Amino acid sequence: MEFLAFGSFALLIALWLVAPSNKGEIVAIEEVKKAA
Amino acid sequence: MENINSGDTAWLLASASLVMLMTPALGFFYGGLVRKKNVLATIMHSFFILCLISVQWVLWGYTLAFGPDIGGIIGGLDWLALRGVGMLPNADYAPTVPHQAFMVFQMMFAVITPALITGAFAERKRFKAFVVFTLIWATLVYAPVAHWVWGVGGWLRMLGALDFAGGTVVHITSGVSALVAALVLGRRKGLGSEPIEPHDATMTVLGASLLWFGWFGFNAGSAINAGGLAANAFVVTNTAAAMAALTWMTVSWLHKGAPSVLGASAGAVAGLVAITPASGYVDVSSAIVIGLGAGTICYLAIQLTRRLRVDDALDVFGVHGVGGTWGALATGLFASSAVNSAATNGLINGNPAQLGIQLVAVAAVIAYAAVMTFVILKVINLFVALRVPEQDEVLGLDASQHREAAYTI
Repeated sequence: MEFLAFGSFALLIALWLVAPSNKGEIVAIEEVKKAA
Repeated sequence: MENINSGDTAWLLASASLVMLMTPALGFFYGGLVRKKNVLATIMHSFFILCLISVQWVLWGYTLAFGPDIGGIIGGLDWLALRGVGMLPNADYAPTVPHQAFMVFQMMFAVITPALITGAFAERKRFKAFVVFTLIWATLVYAPVAHWVWGVGGWLRMLGALDFAGGTVVHITSGVSALVAALVLGRRKGLGSEPIEPHDATMTVLGASLLWFGWFGFNAGSAINAGGLAANAFVVTNTAAAMAALTWMTVSWLHKGAPSVLGASAGAVAGLVAITPASGYVDVSSAIVIGLGAGTICYLAIQLTRRLRVDDALDVFGVHGVGGTWGALATGLFASSAVNSAATNGLINGNPAQLGIQLVAVAAVIAYAAVMTFVILKVINLFVALRVPEQDEVLGLDASQHREAAYTI
């Protein structure tokens, strides 16, 4: 289980490094959409 | 009184206070997610249930759930209005604390469970129908299932089902009932054709944070003593919540291109849900895997629900129904008698039968909650319309149901 636990956390860290930077549209607050 | 342990009693009463806070916290978590014309009505759902079930539980809820067993199905009426539930301990449930302390701790679980369902029918349910539904549901669904799983003589407890703090009793019952309620009530007016956005994400993050805080009482308090098992439950609860928040945020980042704040909040709640049944039986490595699973599975479940055009407004089924199911099954996978000597091992520790028992418990609770919720809603609808009229829905529930406004600025 320790191997799985370390592997899970390492996977997340690796995904953060390859995750896109601000390519999507704003999804949460309509007012922010309007202001933008 | 010689059996009463002051440390255990203090911890259990403190835990009951922590769990009590979770219900108004849920109101804020949900309140931020709805449009501002419905925020008071949404918060009122949780606050009202805190009051309603506090009275229902002492009058008849507690005895139905924990009273002397009748056929493994329900508790008897021996403890109606708390007759015989006093300051002395009950050896079956909590031998070192006053029976009333155990009763009030359990009350807070009975309070928050129907409050969870309210997220599914937010922004369209008539207040009167909500009141009647909550009272009947707490009596005919929550109390029997609590007895099956936790009551002495309950059939799932006798079968050996493991549910430390309410994965089946609280989260599967509420999550499945939420899905049924969403289907019976139908979609909100304008959904899909006009923007329906959370009106205050900060309120939701605050609500999620307070839920997380209260969850330490929910899970660590379920040890019923102030010892090592409570400490383990505390640690795995925090770990799974954190891991699920990180995972949900990451999956949504990859899916939608940005690390969502609301996603991190929902992920934390999903992790808390999933670790709930397992928190007294698993170690911290298992908690990390459970959190990873919760963040991924619950996120995918919500995408599927939306694709199927089910208007579970605040994703109660995806977080609580699916998260509770994952947690109950994960308990059958990862349970360890090294963590809790009173428990059996799970599959990875050499006992595959435990996973089968967990499957039976999950299936039975899903089926019962779904059928009963459907019947209750249909019967109520014969006397009180479940939905508000269309013009009231457009006006908003704060004005149409409560004649109040949340914000004057």
